[in-house]
Amino acid sequence: MSPLLEIQNVSKAFTIRHNRSQSLKTNFIGLFHKRFRETKEVLWALKDISLTVHQGETLGLIGRNGSGKSTLLRIIAGIYPPTSGEVRWLKKANIGTMIELGVGFHPELTGRENIFLGASIHGLTRKQAEGIYAAVVEFSELDGFMDVPIKNYSTGMQARLGFGLAVNLDPDVLLVDEIFAVGDEAFQKKCTERMSRLRTEGKTIIFVSHDPVKIKTFCDRVCLLDHGTLRFSGDPVQGLGEYHRLLVAVAQGT
Amino acid sequence: MIQLFSYRELIKNLVLKDLKLKYRDSTLGFFWSLANPLLLIAVYSFVFTRMLRVDTPDFPYFLLVGLLPWNFFAQSLMMSTGSVIDNGNLIRKVRLPIEVFPIATVLFNLAQFLLALIVLLPATMLLFPTRVSWTFLAFIPILALHVLFTVGLCFIFSTATVFFRDVRHFTEIFLMLLFWLTPIVYDVRALAESLRAVVFMNPVAFFITSYQDIFYRQSLPSPAHFTGLCVISVLSLACGYSVFRAFRLRFAEEV
Repeated sequence: MSPLLEIQNVSKAFTIRHNRSQSLKTNFIGLFHKRFRETKEVLWALKDISLTVHQGETLGLIGRNGSGKSTLLRIIAGIYPPTSGEVRWLKKANIGTMIELGVGFHPELTGRENIFLGASIHGLTRKQAEGIYAAVVEFSELDGFMDVPIKNYSTGMQARLGFGLAVNLDPDVLLVDEIFAVGDEAFQKKCTERMSRLRTEGKTIIFVSHDPVKIKTFCDRVCLLDHGTLRFSGDPVQGLGEYHRLLVAVAQGT
Repeated sequence: MIQLFSYRELIKNLVLKDLKLKYRDSTLGFFWSLANPLLLIAVYSFVFTRMLRVDTPDFPYFLLVGLLPWNFFAQSLMMSTGSVIDNGNLIRKVRLPIEVFPIATVLFNLAQFLLALIVLLPATMLLFPTRVSWTFLAFIPILALHVLFTVGLCFIFSTATVFFRDVRHFTEIFLMLLFWLTPIVYDVRALAESLRAVVFMNPVAFFITSYQDIFYRQSLPSPAHFTGLCVISVLSLACGYSVFRAFRLRFAEEV
């Protein structure tokens, strides 16, 4: 497998602002009252991460809450700039983000309108959107509801529409952040099958998950993040073992 | 910029979404967009011609050709303050050129401006002794410059609101003051020379008087005036876009 993406010494700092003032009034009061003054704290969400992702590989990111998984995913997606270090794409790749389902959908718009809006949010042209429309409707099993505003959909229906759109966007690289828990069991199975199919089609997938079963079945490799550092990178079973030990250690307070 | 071009479908969809949401489910729909300027023109005409005895001929027509472009400008600016922050969720979850949001805001207001103009201009012309003139053709370049100017300012206002949420309130007051400093309800030619210089310190005045020239006075803006429009527009767009670009990378963390 040829390398597709090199993450070189990437660190990311977030400035956490206590008493964050976004108005001039509080800024002004802060000059006189310490209690209202903004104090800054720097939080290193990622520390010196280096990682190579290969073409056609499925990479799982695991770690506790707040370990930096989602931040790393967003830096790869280009949503956040890294504070230091670099993300280098060695080949031109079409990146698809599945960080939240149905992002950008508007409740007042119909299913059909939302598919076209959602597709264009991910950079599809009108023609490309028309090309995938039938597949989205079929996958989400919502034929007959396309002219209904999605505010009248059930939560499950909305999620299905979101997932149906997401898996049909057809990017070369998929960045997925825990979006599997949608719909009933049958639909979940369908989603899992679809993800496997994307894998066999040779897509590069990077996904964040807490589900050991999904990690074992899907991933070629896992990366374990803890407090923003890369603790382990390699075999999924071994990685999950490492993760388990980490959780036990934390629970015992060592 | 090239990336932006490939997202034109998104810009189109955002504009259509806003138009649909505005008019769907309202029985009178588009009528409401006309009612607002019409009522304002009726009230101002009454106050200025009957009560204050302003002697600008065909006052309602004069008012209309200045008010509609002003509304386009003012509403774009007002809406632009929310155009980045209100799309925060999207910006944090999908990689896209964030520029599309302020641009879509301006285009949405442009669509409303054109619709209002197409209906109200001929209707008002029937009521007053004005005729169609070849100077109307200058509408296209003037509008094009006006759009560029507005987009530039909207870049700045949408960026500023990300860091200071007060910009929204400030803009509201700022626009109210600017309305009276712009020759919309009064004719700049009726002013004393010294006051006229003050009025033209406001770049919006250049645009509004140009619309009045071509529609109301049926003459073309002077070459110097037109050069002024070009300079203001290019400056606004260049400054606005560089400010936006300079801060763009921080948006996902700040919204």
